Amino acid sequence: MNDRRPTIFIVDDDTFVRDALQLMIEQENLDVQCYESGEAFLEHCPQTNNGCILLDVQMPGLNGLALQQILAERHMPLPIIFLTGNGNIPMSVKAIKAGAVDFLTKPVTRSKLIAAIETALQENASILKKNALAETAGSLIAKLTVRENDVMQLAIAGLPNKEIARKLNISFRTVEVHKSRIMQKTGAANLIELAGIVRESAGS
Amino acid sequence: MPHSAATPDKDKELTKPLEDLSFQEFFAAADAMLLIDHDGFILQASHAASAMLGYAPKAMNGLRVEALMPERYRNQHEKHREGYNTNPIKRLMGNGRNLIALKHDGSEIQLDIGLSPLMIKGQSCVLISFHDSDQRLQAEEALRTSEERLRLAKRVAGLGVFDYDLIHNMMRYDTCIRQWWGIPPDQPMTYDMLIEGIHPEDRHIRLEAIQRASDPEGSGEYKIEYRVVNAIDRKQRWIAAIGKVLFHEKKPQRLIGVVQEITERKLLEQKLREQRNEMSALIKSQVALQTASAIAHELNQPLAALSAYSEVGLHIIEHPPVDYDQLRRALVGTITQAQRAGDSLHELLEFLQHREFAREATDLNALIRDALDILHHDGYRAFEAILELEPGLPPVMANPMQIQKVLVNLLSNSIEAMRNANIPEAAIHIKVSTNAENRLAQVTVQDNGPGLTGETAQRIFEPFFTTKPRGIGMGLVISRALIESNGGQMWLEPESPAGATFHFTLPLAA
Repeated sequence: MNDRRPTIFIVDDDTFVRDALQLMIEQENLDVQCYESGEAFLEHCPQTNNGCILLDVQMPGLNGLALQQILAERHMPLPIIFLTGNGNIPMSVKAIKAGAVDFLTKPVTRSKLIAAIETALQENASILKKNALAETAGSLIAKLTVRENDVMQLAIAGLPNKEIARKLNISFRTVEVHKSRIMQKTGAANLIELAGIVRESAGS
Repeated sequence: MPHSAATPDKDKELTKPLEDLSFQEFFAAADAMLLIDHDGFILQASHAASAMLGYAPKAMNGLRVEALMPERYRNQHEKHREGYNTNPIKRLMGNGRNLIALKHDGSEIQLDIGLSPLMIKGQSCVLISFHDSDQRLQAEEALRTSEERLRLAKRVAGLGVFDYDLIHNMMRYDTCIRQWWGIPPDQPMTYDMLIEGIHPEDRHIRLEAIQRASDPEGSGEYKIEYRVVNAIDRKQRWIAAIGKVLFHEKKPQRLIGVVQEITERKLLEQKLREQRNEMSALIKSQVALQTASAIAHELNQPLAALSAYSEVGLHIIEHPPVDYDQLRRALVGTITQAQRAGDSLHELLEFLQHREFAREATDLNALIRDALDILHHDGYRAFEAILELEPGLPPVMANPMQIQKVLVNLLSNSIEAMRNANIPEAAIHIKVSTNAENRLAQVTVQDNGPGLTGETAQRIFEPFFTTKPRGIGMGLVISRALIESNGGQMWLEPESPAGATFHFTLPLAA
């Protein structure tokens, strides 16, 4: 979470489309950055994780769907709204399946575009929140020793202490000591909270 | 024939047959023959007989016939000869096979000998004709070999041979023709059965070909392909026939030829044609799609920008205080983008229209026949084409390929319409006429289908308007555009007397 204000990134090969859409989105009091191609976007890869991308499908060079794939591989948290001149159904299905928020045909009305941007920004916020939680949880889990981690995995799987002791070939008392250290380090009040932290850490 | 050449008067006077002129001529020309009298004396020997037995001409006259055979047969032969005199009938001697004769030089020769009794001036004589057995055997062997070869060749090539005597209405044919036509072995096959076996739609092909071949001025040859429906199992076969009409004094006498089954080849051709047509339909629809996509892409970008600029402007007005600089920017954007959309469209049309094509002096009648051939090949057969072509039609100035496409399009539309309406006697009337005043040729294509009325007639030349379930509705649009780019016009007859009637014109070549 670098910025508080989200930015809308427009990637379209048409100067006038970029200009007109920029004016329209800026009227909504949003920041806009324009790129004339997928390559240009990747080259000046934005420093912000806050916002969304308005992506033209048909562009010379790297097309919209190919750029979407590259961004997914890089775990870019910016949701994508596709814009296309003649969107066919298989193409939009492919884009949506690959995680696009929306698939809009040109010319697009203000209301549709702004609604899509709002959805995309909500999605972005939720991604960032999930990432932040995962980061926190991850750092808590990272404090545990290898043996404590073993005990924790069995404990949140619902095994009683006696069973954990037998499985790990340690004494019942040792399990109790490990468990209290785990609770202390993660700050979890009980096993349910502990399981939640583990789940969050896996989300990152 | 000796007797027909001799007058009855001379016949009566014939006391010395050796002197008879007609006999001499006959014997000079004929095969190996001896004329012997009742007692076995040789009266006359043909040149061929003398030559075969090694005697000088006339040297055998007066010899006993027994002198011409080895001694070991002579006594026996005299008895046989007397026996023959009591029952003189025309027959082969010793069953006609391999009898031994003695040549002048003492050597022996195998002969086939035939005997014929002959009354000459009240005398009973015998005419003996003979030839070399070896030659006969060789000839028989050669004939057998050549027949065997022919049979083998016919079988390998899958050929059937037919021979039709037009004068006596008699037909000879191979067993494979019987099999293909499905005529049981116990039933005689007539010429009519040959015709009836041919698919009704194809009979005219054969009829026309034979009519052409029956022209004594022509080569007499024909080469056709038609379908045969087996009379027993109704199985359909494709047959190729090559034939020749033989003439006598400029009158057709005989029709001979070979037929071959070509079903497999035809099916393969048909499959290839279907694939080609499917491919061409696919390409056509792809061309339409790609053209539409190109237009959409060219127009969508400016339209997208235009729409956005307009909404920007609207937003400014609706959210005072109005920022006039921003409003001006939005409005200028709107105008520029509307202009840009128009320019793109014009550029695209110009690009598509400026495809050069060659026009040349073209025979319209020939194009019509070509178009009918193409349709026939594409399986459009169930219709009758009535041609009313203007003889000596001056050539038109056009691109032949394009006009052919137009004709095929019009005709196939008609055929499909008639087929869908189950018209029993589907017919298309094609008329060509010229208008010397306007320097135009006019083609009229009229079918006897359900015709076009009301909205359909109104919209028939509209792009993407179609009455076919799988049509794309571009056929007539393109046809009309092609005719117009060739300097002609195309229209639908508003008050067609029957079916649908289309006309188009083309300029005459200078």
